[in-house]
Amino acid sequence: MREGTDRNPADGLEAWRRAAERELGRPLAQGERLLYTARDALDPGFPGQPPYLRGPRASMYAGRPWTIRQYAGFSTAEASNAFFRRSLAAGQTGLSVAFDLPTHRGYDSDHPRVAGDVGVAGVAIDAVSDMERLFAGIPLDQVSVSMTMNGAVLPVMAAFLVCAERQGVPWDQLSGTIQNDILKEFMVRNTYIYPPGPSLRIVGDVIAYLSERVPRFHPISISGYHLQEAGAGAALELGLTLADGLAYVQTALERGLQVDRFAPKLSFFFAIGMDFLGEIAKLRAARLLWSELMERFAPADPASKVLRTHCQTSGWSLTAQDPLNNVVRTTIEALAAVLGGTQSLHTNSYDEAIGLPTERSARIARNTQLILREEAGLREVIDPLGGSFYLEARTREIARQAREVIAEVESQGGMVRAIELGWPQRQVESAAARRQARIDRGEERIVGMNAFRSEDAEPLEVFSVDSSAVLGEQRRRLEELRRDRDGEAASSALSALSAAAEGGGNLLGHSVAAMRAGATLGEVSAALERVFGRHVAEARASGGVYGAAYQGDADFAALRRRLVGFAEQRGRRPRVLVAKLGQDGHDRGAKVIAAGFADLGFDVDLAPLFQTPAEVAKQAAENDVHAVGISSLAGGHLTLLPQLRAELDRLGAEDILVILGGVIPDRDHPALREAGVSLIFGPGTPILQAAKELLDLLEEA
Amino acid sequence: MKAPSYAEGVLAGDRRSVARALTLVESRRPEDSLAAGELLARLWPASGRADRIAVSGPPGAGKSCFIEAIGLEAVEQGRKVAVLAIDPSSPRSGGSLMGDKTRMPRLSQSASALIRPSPAGDSVGGVAKRTREAITVMEAAGFDLVLIETVGVGQSEVAASQLSDLLLLLVLPGSGDGLQGIKRGVTELSDLFVVHKIDVQAEEAQRTARELEGALALLRPSQPPWKPRVLLASSVSGEGIQSVWEAISAHREATLPGREARRRAQQLYWFEQRLREQLWEEFTQRTEVKARMPELASAVRSGRISADQAVSQLLGECRGNKCL
Repeated sequence: MREGTDRNPADGLEAWRRAAERELGRPLAQGERLLYTARDALDPGFPGQPPYLRGPRASMYAGRPWTIRQYAGFSTAEASNAFFRRSLAAGQTGLSVAFDLPTHRGYDSDHPRVAGDVGVAGVAIDAVSDMERLFAGIPLDQVSVSMTMNGAVLPVMAAFLVCAERQGVPWDQLSGTIQNDILKEFMVRNTYIYPPGPSLRIVGDVIAYLSERVPRFHPISISGYHLQEAGAGAALELGLTLADGLAYVQTALERGLQVDRFAPKLSFFFAIGMDFLGEIAKLRAARLLWSELMERFAPADPASKVLRTHCQTSGWSLTAQDPLNNVVRTTIEALAAVLGGTQSLHTNSYDEAIGLPTERSARIARNTQLILREEAGLREVIDPLGGSFYLEARTREIARQAREVIAEVESQGGMVRAIELGWPQRQVESAAARRQARIDRGEERIVGMNAFRSEDAEPLEVFSVDSSAVLGEQRRRLEELRRDRDGEAASSALSALSAAAEGGGNLLGHSVAAMRAGATLGEVSAALERVFGRHVAEARASGGVYGAAYQGDADFAALRRRLVGFAEQRGRRPRVLVAKLGQDGHDRGAKVIAAGFADLGFDVDLAPLFQTPAEVAKQAAENDVHAVGISSLAGGHLTLLPQLRAELDRLGAEDILVILGGVIPDRDHPALREAGVSLIFGPGTPILQAAKELLDLLEEA
Repeated sequence: MKAPSYAEGVLAGDRRSVARALTLVESRRPEDSLAAGELLARLWPASGRADRIAVSGPPGAGKSCFIEAIGLEAVEQGRKVAVLAIDPSSPRSGGSLMGDKTRMPRLSQSASALIRPSPAGDSVGGVAKRTREAITVMEAAGFDLVLIETVGVGQSEVAASQLSDLLLLLVLPGSGDGLQGIKRGVTELSDLFVVHKIDVQAEEAQRTARELEGALALLRPSQPPWKPRVLLASSVSGEGIQSVWEAISAHREATLPGREARRRAQQLYWFEQRLREQLWEEFTQRTEVKARMPELASAVRSGRISADQAVSQLLGECRGNKCL
């Protein structure tokens, strides 16, 4: 027998395959790859050099570790400010502000549509003074600030700039990021305000204004995060995000901006889920592809081709069951982000599938990163997994699949057109429905949720915000502001803003003038809305996908038969209105439920997004449904659900049941039941089980 | 369900009663159809006062968005608007996903409008019956404009035309060369053509409109003296919507004198249509027929006898043992 070192590699691979098949007791399936070898891997090159696959900078974490940037914000500006200052003292290196839903949608806190949402999922900002309180005692020339804001990007960015002015910090000293990525809002997240055309103009205005006057600030964060959270896999997330990026570059170029003036400040934002090696490969593929794609704009500055990114561990991967398991999940995901070479990172708190983070859970989330940074030796070598046969092959594979997504988008005429046609939305929705079916069927196992469930998981302390107290406080301040300001100056600045919207002129410049003159966020938004209108999206769900995954399943078939029996007995199929209340636009759960129920044989009505309880009640009563199913993720349920029940009763629809699903802390259940909510489903409830429980109730009635 | 109690509510314009009355007429339970019949008899005298407009067009033509726009225009003019939308049911699961109101967010919140989406279910014939009954309920409740959104391919336009005073067809810019995209029979039935989504494809829309006008010149008008018109509109920008409303009003003016006669003719059509359906249903449910049908069907399928022979044979046997 020859020595292993000099024998033909192909013979070695064949020998391995035979041995593996013997051990497995079966032949390897077509396309089943258990082993990668040198034949699969391409040379990845060097960090800091095109195509930047191994990292955007030559020295990577040896020079500067990634920024620990935790996304936070809740209640009033004072409360968030105190939290920010404690976090910075405890080792956090950058801030990331979460705004409440009314702020996202361009409403002041005292707007009648938003009562239940004020201060709940983030901090409420109505005017520059709120921004000043938010950053009181925080030196904006030293701490970089990331702001997740898209719809109301103009008044929020303007308030931040005026706040810096009042702190005495020159704008060219400011660093940070504004998300300003409206395309993915139209695809999945739904916190848009204006229609796509004017929205893209705003993106362009922000990029133009910031690149000129606030040169250290990233004027956009092109985000795949929300696409993955809505259901997209790695390649789809990557492809759609880079296609968004191309659309923004095009928008800026059409403004007459030079590519090298803005491209080096574009930043990206990806989700990191539990596919550990896949997520590392995704980040490497992202840099490879962006550098390749940017070639077409012929930049002179190599920095224009470099993709820099923020990452966040996946919120969707967290379970409400046995929540301490989430510390482990987040650690694995954070490690993937670091091995993938991220520039900054947010790690989720373990209790986020149940409620808002507590002081304790936020500390552990932050410490997860500090431990990786300080104890795990990850800064000592650059791209330590580079050259792994498998990882290099996977990197190229994800890049290849993402290229196909981008080519499809381009064949449809670019991202804006593709979104109008609904193609990206359908891809994401179908992926979500397929994944849900796999989990519901136990084909994908999630520890503590659909496998290895623990019977004695201890109840968890959760944090929630008293929305009515925040609302009272914001109302008082708005009254003061409107009383004390120079009303004429504010209204003439707002008129100038409307005129610029109609004619030309940079809208961020005009927004800065208006906020400086004492206008509120809602007034700035309204001045723009007068010209642009408010966008109304059609809610859609992709039927058929969930049911297809259950072909031949006995439980599924049995439930379908029960529905036929119900229809025969009652003269119609059970009919359910699926809705979201308030300003929460995260509709993955609502869509998956709607599609799954329809596939089972329910008649399902979809309600428009952003409805008040009275509006949803009117639709339920008129469609004469058996039940209204509300999906709630943003914490407004204690205010909104009792109102919905009362409105239904007022319309003479006492017989219509109210059911609730989403992130609902246990301690809220008694109050909700008291208020007439018939069923409450936590995250991770299989659709089949929810449908069975509802059908049980309906058959009783 | 109790018919009389709904009748009072419906006649008083109570929305919840209207909603439940619609559920009753849609119900497939035999005992409900008795109650529904009773209810409709109570409502019948109060019905007939609305303008009935059917909106049809291929999938993706923007029917719901158009109804949102034109419905809001009607509300502005002081009309009370009812919308009946029929959504397809999945042949596999029997269930349905009805997103109509997400495309009509403002109209669905208007105090002067009521939108009711209904699943088509499995019986094609039943849709038209239930829709006619739903129109009666809506009219009795005081709605003076009923918009009917149809699933919109082929055969259903004939039913839509027989349900309505005006059939409005939405056409997409560039849909086929000339009229090849639209079935000839449908063109002959339509009273108003709206080339839709002109905000996206303005030039294409102009061309499609010209082609349509050329083709219409060759057709006999469906409701003389009214001459079918071609209009351009966008429900997104609102452009052209007012002109469509004006054309609807002009159509009403021109055809109002003949409306009663047309509706009586429609009743006659439905009389024959329903009789045909009902006879088929009852005939095929008879024990003897039920027993013989599969045999004859397989004989036809295998080519042993012709379709006509099979019919003669079945009817002959039935006459023989007096089951016909």
